[in-house]
Amino acid sequence: MGNKQTIFTSQQLDAYQDCTYFTRKEILRLFHRYRDLAPQLVPLDYKNQPEVRLPYELIGSMPELKDNPFRQRIAEVFSEDGEGNMTLDDFLDMFSVLSEMAPRDLKAYYAFKIYDFNNDDFICKSDLEKTLNKLTRNELTEDEVRMVCEKVIDEADLDNDGRLSLEDFQHMIMRAPDFLSTFHIRI
Amino acid sequence: MAASQVMETISSEDEDQEMIELEAIRSPYGAAKFDLTHANPEDLEAQHYHEPKHTNALHRNNWSSSTQRVLSSMPSRSIRFNQLTALSRSTVTCRRRPLSDVSTTNCTTEHDVFREQDDCENDVAQKEEVLNKLQGLSAGECMRVLREMPISVSEKRQIRAWVFCWAAGQPCVHRYKGASGSSAVCAFTMDQVEEAFNGRYREVNRETQQWYTYNHLVPEPRPGAVLCGWCYGRVSQQKSIQLWQGALRNISAHFGTGVLSYFIFLRRLLIYNILFFLINGLFLVLPQISNPPLPKNIHTTTADLWMLTGMGVLTDSVMFYGHYDNNISIYNNFKNVTKWCPENYNIPLAYIFTIGAGMFITCVMLVYSMSKSIGRGFRVFKTTGNLALKVFCSWDFKVSKKWSVKLQSVNICTQLKEMVSELSCRKQKRNLCSTLGWIHFLVWFICIFCIAACMLAVYHLPSYTDQICSKANSFQKAVCLLKLPLVMSCISQLLPGFFDMLSTVEHYDSPSTRIYVSIVRNLLLKGCIFGILCYCWFEQHSCRTKGLITWQCWETLVGQELYRLVLMDLLFAIVYIIIAEFLWGLCIRNITFRRKKLEFDIARDVLELIYGQTLVWFGVLFSPLLPAVQIGKLFLLFYFKKTSLMTNFQPSKKTWRSTQMSTFFIKLLFFPSFTGALACVIYVMWRVGPSSDCGPFSNLHSMLLLGKECQGSSKPSMLWLSWTYKYLVNNPIFLFITAALFFTIIYIYMQVLDGQKMIIVRLQKQIENEGEDKKFLIAKIQALNEASAPQ
Repeated sequence: MGNKQTIFTSQQLDAYQDCTYFTRKEILRLFHRYRDLAPQLVPLDYKNQPEVRLPYELIGSMPELKDNPFRQRIAEVFSEDGEGNMTLDDFLDMFSVLSEMAPRDLKAYYAFKIYDFNNDDFICKSDLEKTLNKLTRNELTEDEVRMVCEKVIDEADLDNDGRLSLEDFQHMIMRAPDFLSTFHIRI
Repeated sequence: MAASQVMETISSEDEDQEMIELEAIRSPYGAAKFDLTHANPEDLEAQHYHEPKHTNALHRNNWSSSTQRVLSSMPSRSIRFNQLTALSRSTVTCRRRPLSDVSTTNCTTEHDVFREQDDCENDVAQKEEVLNKLQGLSAGECMRVLREMPISVSEKRQIRAWVFCWAAGQPCVHRYKGASGSSAVCAFTMDQVEEAFNGRYREVNRETQQWYTYNHLVPEPRPGAVLCGWCYGRVSQQKSIQLWQGALRNISAHFGTGVLSYFIFLRRLLIYNILFFLINGLFLVLPQISNPPLPKNIHTTTADLWMLTGMGVLTDSVMFYGHYDNNISIYNNFKNVTKWCPENYNIPLAYIFTIGAGMFITCVMLVYSMSKSIGRGFRVFKTTGNLALKVFCSWDFKVSKKWSVKLQSVNICTQLKEMVSELSCRKQKRNLCSTLGWIHFLVWFICIFCIAACMLAVYHLPSYTDQICSKANSFQKAVCLLKLPLVMSCISQLLPGFFDMLSTVEHYDSPSTRIYVSIVRNLLLKGCIFGILCYCWFEQHSCRTKGLITWQCWETLVGQELYRLVLMDLLFAIVYIIIAEFLWGLCIRNITFRRKKLEFDIARDVLELIYGQTLVWFGVLFSPLLPAVQIGKLFLLFYFKKTSLMTNFQPSKKTWRSTQMSTFFIKLLFFPSFTGALACVIYVMWRVGPSSDCGPFSNLHSMLLLGKECQGSSKPSMLWLSWTYKYLVNNPIFLFITAALFFTIIYIYMQVLDGQKMIIVRLQKQIENEGEDKKFLIAKIQALNEASAPQ
């Protein structure tokens, strides 16, 4: 089966296999999912590593992500340019981290980055407010949002600087056994 | 000089600063730092309206640039949680930080600028450090570490290529010595090897000793190729062929992780049953089939509905206990047929050992999965408050259908609102609690009354049906036999629904309490009716030993009863799905205006599974092929439930902590389900005398006395058994020593755990202290800078 595909060289497939949590079959299947988003943009021959970048609108229209309120942040975090336009590498990276086999620390790192809206490596109050509004579709009142944010920072902030660093976030994730099963997309 | 200035500045500052410092000291360790009910509401409000966007006064807009410079170069703000991640993180030059966002942040503008400068300077040095670290590891370890690095795939490929270049570029260490153990590949460099393996594929013809180019399809992987994927643990990474993977994915996309856990539990039970069936089949059923016993004298009438009732043809088959040989008849069997196993295959011994081994292996697997589950759900740190977890960990990314996503959103919103209202109304104790206490009592009384009524019904039913059915024809007899299992299935499936309806009147503090109470009531019901049934059988057995009733081969009868129970359970479940879920769901959808669907009750269905499995574990002693029946039942149930779920149900509005509940259900499966069945089986094997006219133990007073029988035998193959029985099982000193050893080991582990808990508490306190120090120092720096800088 492996010999019939002409999309990647076998070294490329090996490299992808070593760098993600996917097997060869899955990588090829994901490539075809990537290509199906824009068949005219993505060539069938990746041997000379073409610079193809799919715009965010196409990535956000995938059925797995279409209704997810965090899809824009997910695409931004995993894309190289930070705008949500993804190359194949970014695409594979995204689904590899969100797959079943990625370890907890790796998932926690990327979850932290997703919830860090202003990219300052801390989840401060404004990030929390945005997260809450996305989770609840702006259904909470201002007061409720404020109270929830304060309580969350109280609970999770260990070093008392008023915002959540990566260590605080990972510490909190350790208390959540459900995290591994919820931060997971099946593709 | 500067010091005193600072002191003065602090003491003469305005009210805000003092108030904030006080607050910093006041926050108690190990509890919530912002306890809204204890803090002075006016102070808090003043602080909030003074600086509407910050909860903590440390975050102020007007920090001086020198302060920010110091803060941005603090080590904790650029080093990640482990060293490798830190190194790899800073190898990235300008990654994923769009400049448009930077200006909108509050206090990080200059922060970023300094970070990038640091990156560019240390780039090369740190790349080398990453490579050095990776090269020191073995191949598999290297790839594992590479995969776990939080950098992009293109960077990982780059690092990987560098690692391999380094490995290939250096001259080969092992010289070709020509010895027998060395490989020809080591004599060449990687470039030459690559050239050979990427060239044409040639084969040698052994007769002519000539090399010919192979023109057909080259096998993949090429023979002799040392592929990276294979050496680097790719095999272990491959997903195991899992049953029903696609169906489970579909279910999780629509319904999320909670409902998925029911189906995963079903799959787990299936695996246990398959294992038990294999063990029984290989070591007990197959030898018995190949060594069929002498035909017995009992007349096997052709009975109607024999498949459902287990009578007729099945009575004297490998399905039930009565068919199995005791040793004596084997010696008399002189048939000259080809046998798969030797003639002296000791069926009674095999019976005990097979059942024992099956139970033991199931026990080990249950304990293992229980411990893994508990380990996953283990919470070490302070468990006060779940709000942060609710915000960050409750969104199920698997759910992808629009309607399900909307429901999830609404669900989370409702829970957050509930938590917020709890926060603000904590002082108002619910005065209603005392007045509603009697409702709880009433509902419990009704439940216990129902359970007692069912127990009486189950107790008197056999005698009642015996009176009616003694003079009927065979079809009516079959139907009569099915009455008891039908009644039991009705009770165990319908009554919990009734209990749930009753409990809607009650008020509980949290939804999880409600779930636990309903589970307890359900368990009580099922345990009681099963207990009553066992008591009936035991009573009949004791009547038989007193010579009051002729009840031949009671084990087969009990086995048949259990077989009927398992099958009736399946039939009733299917009928219930069709009527209560398909038809009722159709009515609800068409009649209600909002096209509401049913909601899946996970707890009730899982308890049904656990009950069915208990019956199987108890019945395997009397009917060794019962696990096979259970396998068929679970398969059918999966497909019926899945179809019904997709058609009739909507995602639940209630919260379901799936990991916690999965752990709870596995614990329930172990105790009381498995341990109860095991205890019953051991009791039957030990105390209850086997019937003297059928089965492998017909010449013994108790099944376990087989060991004593073997003591007398002089066969060399039995010597080890008799030795084991005499010196290990029958010897109290050995048992005492083993028990004492186990207790000592458990005690030592408990002490170690206690010590570790204390260490964790101390470390937590240390982290908090460091945080306080940091706050203090930041305030001091700011004060210094303000004092020294010209305005």
